[in-house]
Amino acid sequence: MESPLLIDDINKSFDQVEVLKSLRFELKTGEIFGLLGPNGAGKTTLISILTSLLAPSSGTAAIFGNDILTQSLQARKKVGVVPQEIVSHGFFTVNQVLNFHSGYYGLRKNQERIDYLLEKLALAEHQNKLVAQLSGGMKRRLLIAKALVHSPPLLLLDEPTAGVDVELRHSLWRFVRELHKDGMTILLTTHYLDEAEELCDRIGVLSKGELIALDETKKLIHDLTHRQVILTLTQPLESKPALPEMQVNKNIVKVNIAHQETVGELIKKLAIPLEWIQDVSITEGSLEDAFVSLLKQHTR
Amino acid sequence: MEFPAATSFAGFTTLLQKECMRFIRVAGQTLISPLISVSLYLLIFGINLADKIANQNGVNYLQFIIPGLVALALLNNAFQNASSSIIISKFHGDLQDLKVVPLTPSQIVWAYAFAGTIRGFLVGISVACIGEIFYVVQYGELLVVQNWLQLCWFLIAGGVTFSLLGLSVALFANNFDQVSAVGTFVILPLIYLGGVFFSIANMHPFWKMISYANPLLYLINGIRYSFLGVSDIDPSRAFLLTLFFVAGAYLLARRMVQVGSYTRF
Ligand SMILES: Nc1ncnc2c1ncn2[C@@H]1O[C@H](COP(=O)(O)OP(=O)(O)OP(=O)(O)O)[C@@H](O)[C@H]1O
Ligand SMILES: [Mg+2]
Repeated sequence: MESPLLIDDINKSFDQVEVLKSLRFELKTGEIFGLLGPNGAGKTTLISILTSLLAPSSGTAAIFGNDILTQSLQARKKVGVVPQEIVSHGFFTVNQVLNFHSGYYGLRKNQERIDYLLEKLALAEHQNKLVAQLSGGMKRRLLIAKALVHSPPLLLLDEPTAGVDVELRHSLWRFVRELHKDGMTILLTTHYLDEAEELCDRIGVLSKGELIALDETKKLIHDLTHRQVILTLTQPLESKPALPEMQVNKNIVKVNIAHQETVGELIKKLAIPLEWIQDVSITEGSLEDAFVSLLKQHTR
Repeated sequence: MEFPAATSFAGFTTLLQKECMRFIRVAGQTLISPLISVSLYLLIFGINLADKIANQNGVNYLQFIIPGLVALALLNNAFQNASSSIIISKFHGDLQDLKVVPLTPSQIVWAYAFAGTIRGFLVGISVACIGEIFYVVQYGELLVVQNWLQLCWFLIAGGVTFSLLGLSVALFANNFDQVSAVGTFVILPLIYLGGVFFSIANMHPFWKMISYANPLLYLINGIRYSFLGVSDIDPSRAFLLTLFFVAGAYLLARRMVQVGSYTRF
C-alpha cells in the first residue's frame, strides 16, 4: 500500500531565506505523527505546501501516491487540513459552511456525515449560528469539522488545541484517537509536548527547517532522556558526592541514570548505607526533556 | 477508510450557489441600493432635463438612457460582486479554502463569472423595469426591445467580462484600497465615457477616436442596439469584439486564480 504521505526533498525559501531544507520523510499508514519544533521551525510552511497553499522551491511530496504538484486534484481529495490560524466566514451559518465545504469535494448530500461531526465536536447546538457569532474555541472546532467532511484518509492538524480549554482538549484527544482507530493517518503539530507524548506514535522534530530527529515517541524519549532517581535519606549526606552528575541537597540526593541501569547498582555505587534510605522515587524522562535536550544539542 | 466518489461538477455548482447566496443575503446592498441611483438618473435626466438634451442617435433622451443605465447596472454589479466577495473572503481568511479543496481553476473562474452575471442580470432587469415604468408614465406605451437574442448575448458577454475583471482585480489586490482604486479610477470612468449618457457621434473627432479604444463602448452600444436598433457602432463589429473581451477576461482571470494572492489581509 502506498504511503499516506511521502515528502521528497522539499526545499522552501522566502526571499532567499531558507525555511525548509531538504526535508524527506514518510508517514506510515494509520499512524499519528507528531511534527514538533520551536516557533518558526517551518511546520506551517510544510503543511501549506502539502495543501497547495504554497509552492515548494524544489522537491515534491505525494499523498497516497498522488504527486501534490502534478496530480494536485487527486491529492487534495485525500487530505483534510486544520489550519493554525482561525478563519471566519462572514455570511453563513455553521451548517451552511459545512455543506458548502462538503460540496466542493463533490459531496452535496452529506448531511449525515455533517450531523455526525457536529455532534462529535459539540457544535450541534450552534449549527444555526453565524460563524461570526462563535467563540474562538468553537471556530477552531468548526475548522476541524470542515477538514473532516469528506472523510479524508490523511488529516493534517496544525496546532488544533491552541486556545482550547482543558476539558475540550481532552475531548479532542479522544476524538483524534477515534479517528486513528478508524484508520485515518494523522499528522499533528503542537507546542504541548504532553499532548504529543500522549497521542503520537512517532515524532519528527523540525528545527530551522531541518528534520533533526525522527523516531518512535518511546524510543526518542528513551534515547534522549535519563531516569532520575531521588533518594530521601534519614540524615544529611556529609561525604563528597560519589558520582559527578549527582546533586545533593542536605538529605535529598538526585542522580540521573541510564535506562538500563538498576537502582540497586546505583545505590551500591553511591555507597550509602541501606538503612539511611527512607524513600526512593524515580521519574522517567518525558518528551519535553527529550525535546529540550535535542534542541540544546542542535543549537550547540 | 473508503473515500466516497466525488463528481467535480458538484464542486462548481456548490461554489456558484454559495456566491449567489452571498449576494442574496445582503440583498439590500447588492440588489436594492443600485436601483436608487438609477431611479434618480431617470428622473433627473430622462424626465426633467430630457427636453433640453438633444436627441441622441435619433431617439429621445429617455429612450436613449434606459439601455445605457441597464448596461451601467449590469457591468458595475457584475464587477462588484466578484471583487467584493473575494476581498471579504481575504479579510475573513476563508479564501484559502479554494486552494485546498479539489476545484480546478476554470471551475473557480466560471463560478464567479456566473454568480456576478446573475447579480448583474437581476439588477439590470430591475433597472429595465423601472425604466419601463418611467417610459409608460411619460409616453403611455412600453419601450419594446428590438432584438432579444442580441440583447441576451451582450448582457451575458458584459456580465461575464466584468465579473472576471472583478475577480482578477480582487485576486491581484493586497488590500481593499487597491480594489476600490481600480473601480474608481479605471472601471467607472470607462463605463461613464463608454456612452451610457451620450452618443459619441456628437463628440469631437479626437475624443471619438479615443472612445473607440474603450472596450465598454462596444458592450454598451451593443446593449443599446439590441433595445432600440440604433447604435454608434456597427453591431457585428461589436459582437466580434465582445467575444474577444470575454476570451481575454477569461484568460486573465484563469491566470489570476492560479497565481493571485489568497492570503489574508
Ligand atoms: N509568507 C512568508 N513570507 C516570508 N517568510 C515567511 C512566510 N511564511 C513564513 N515565513 C517564515 O518561515 C519561517 C517558518 O514559519 P512557519 O510558520 O512555517 O513556522 P512554524 O514552525 O509553523 O512556527 P509556529 O510554531 O510559530 O507556528 C519563519 O521564519 C517565518 O518567518
Ligand atoms: Mg505554525
